[in-house]
Amino acid sequence: MLTRGTLIYIAQRLALIVFTLIAVSFLVFITVHSLPGSAFESERVHGKALQLVLHQYGLDRPILVQYWSFLTSAIHGNLGVSFQIRGLPITPLVMRELSVSAELGGTALLITIGIGTTFGVLAAMRQNSWVDYTLTSIAVVGYSVPSFVLAGLGVLIFSYWLPNVTNGVISYPAIWTGTYGTLVELSLPAVILGFYTSGQVTRITRAAMLEVLQQDYIRTARAKGLKSRVVTVRHALRNALIPVISILGPLVISIITGSVIIENIFGIPGLGKEFVESILGADYNVTVAVFTVYALLIGIANLVVDLLYTVVDPRIRY
Amino acid sequence: MTDPILEVRGLSTHFFTDDGEVKAVRGVSFGVEPGETLGIVGESGCGKSVTAMSILGLVQRPGKVVAGEIMFKGSDLLKLTKEELRNIRGRDIAMIFQDPLSSLNPVLRVGYQIDEAMYAHDKIPRDQVERRGIDLLKQVRVSDAERRINDFPHQFSGGMRQRAMIAMGLSNKPDLLIADEPTTALDVTVQAQILELLRDLNEQTGAAIILITHNLGVVAGLCKRVLVMYAGEIVEEGTAEQIFERPQHPYTWSLLRSVPRIDANRGHRLLSIEGLPPDLIDLPQGCKFNPRCPFRVERCFKESPPIEQVAPAQHAACWVTMERAYAEMGAGTITDTSPGAASGVHPDGRRALPAAEVPAAVAEAGQ
Repeated sequence: MLTRGTLIYIAQRLALIVFTLIAVSFLVFITVHSLPGSAFESERVHGKALQLVLHQYGLDRPILVQYWSFLTSAIHGNLGVSFQIRGLPITPLVMRELSVSAELGGTALLITIGIGTTFGVLAAMRQNSWVDYTLTSIAVVGYSVPSFVLAGLGVLIFSYWLPNVTNGVISYPAIWTGTYGTLVELSLPAVILGFYTSGQVTRITRAAMLEVLQQDYIRTARAKGLKSRVVTVRHALRNALIPVISILGPLVISIITGSVIIENIFGIPGLGKEFVESILGADYNVTVAVFTVYALLIGIANLVVDLLYTVVDPRIRY
Repeated sequence: MTDPILEVRGLSTHFFTDDGEVKAVRGVSFGVEPGETLGIVGESGCGKSVTAMSILGLVQRPGKVVAGEIMFKGSDLLKLTKEELRNIRGRDIAMIFQDPLSSLNPVLRVGYQIDEAMYAHDKIPRDQVERRGIDLLKQVRVSDAERRINDFPHQFSGGMRQRAMIAMGLSNKPDLLIADEPTTALDVTVQAQILELLRDLNEQTGAAIILITHNLGVVAGLCKRVLVMYAGEIVEEGTAEQIFERPQHPYTWSLLRSVPRIDANRGHRLLSIEGLPPDLIDLPQGCKFNPRCPFRVERCFKESPPIEQVAPAQHAACWVTMERAYAEMGAGTITDTSPGAASGVHPDGRRALPAAEVPAAVAEAGQ
């Protein structure tokens, strides 16, 4: 499975990811440090006291020197300390928030692929029937309604109108307890987060299935006397998945950006929430750390997608 | 004469499109005897492929078989349930298609695609399937079959892909193999190899073959009996010798004249049948070949000729037949084969340009 060529390809891509991370962190570092305001400015801390605090955090040095010291300690896994919660090490903080966001995003991704491909296949198999129209309409709603509207509606329905039915399912504990939440607790934000991307996947799967079902090899499969379920799943869906996989990269990015909104609305203590809070609080180190983690996630997601191609389509080899 | 294994009676398949009802196949009847090689020839769009697809129930919407019966082993294929028909497809009647690249699934291994046909029917014991897959690939003369069976279709050449398709078709030892233009996408030397293979397999396995093609040379090389189709109908039927030596329908005659010959005089124009096949939505009255036929008579415009015996084992649907055309219209010597040229029949003033009036530029382009 893993040929020499594939391993070299993976190594090259990993090197590229490292380069991207350095570039992203540098740009973000320069940008946030150029923003007006600082985490330490207040009525009580000014003048000499402010100078002392800035010196304590190394913020009085030239910016390139500051970046260099950030980079060298980041390589050793130390992303520095928070300014808002003074002295809190960022690496464990970000790791905890990442696992929360990963649970939410992972669930949303599963929903996206599961619901999206199922809807897409069903719509294509029953083209121009009420099944097709219903599923296609749901998909259109999915990728037309902004997630903050859906999230607001979700909160309104489940925590305000139906608090007895849901039994407070969407009250989210702010404190890390090992795993973030049960599937039931995760379901509402994950469904809303995955709704947009499910719509996209439905649309692409449906179109790809309709095209694949017209292909000569489907006729061959039917002429062989295969059961229609086998023809649909083994012969048609496998080929229809190729375009679906090609949009998985952009979809992962959609889920990450979507999670920033969803986590803030539902108060989920993940990376997306930290992302906004750190910017508002001018907590430079945290902002740079969160950005860098996002860049890493996207880089890895794209690499996984490109490797998935070779699994589904034997004509693609690296 | 033995009983036919397949008998098609009065088959009509129409396509219900937005532009109208395309009557692609109308009242087609023929039989196939066990072990026989039958050729169906005709130009593109004459309904030969649709006839084959109708037999296996593979006609897709908006197409529909509107009339007829297809008797196979005592049951009418058109009346079977989906599941019963599925059991016959690929098991008793197998089909191979024109373009072997697009007809094989690009993401599945060749061996898998061959074995799958056997697993689907359980005719071959399961523990023998893999062994038989390799044997089949050897039988269709793919070299290094043990290794090649694990290749993907894109790693095969065009000829090898068609061989793999044939192996797939033969895997369940079918009684009948329908080959729809099996050599069209291949180059000439490979065409000859594939035909030779089909001939050998016909002798070895005793499977009857229906070969569908527009290429008369291909038919001559393989088939003992030939059906000629035009505009969705069978216009002539006979042994290969009769069709090639003594065609009775003017369409067959014209088709044979238009085959390019390597021994023809250089500089001779390549002959073609003037005009185009009729619109299958709005068919002409009477004989469907009348707008293009050099030997047409008045009757051809009014009544559709039935298919009748013209010689032992030879049938043709024509009011004139070539016998009369040779005797009365000088068919042996004419050079102008434009519609009605030999018979001088041009009802309603419908007259094509005589050959002499064809503009010089067009004539030159045809050189």
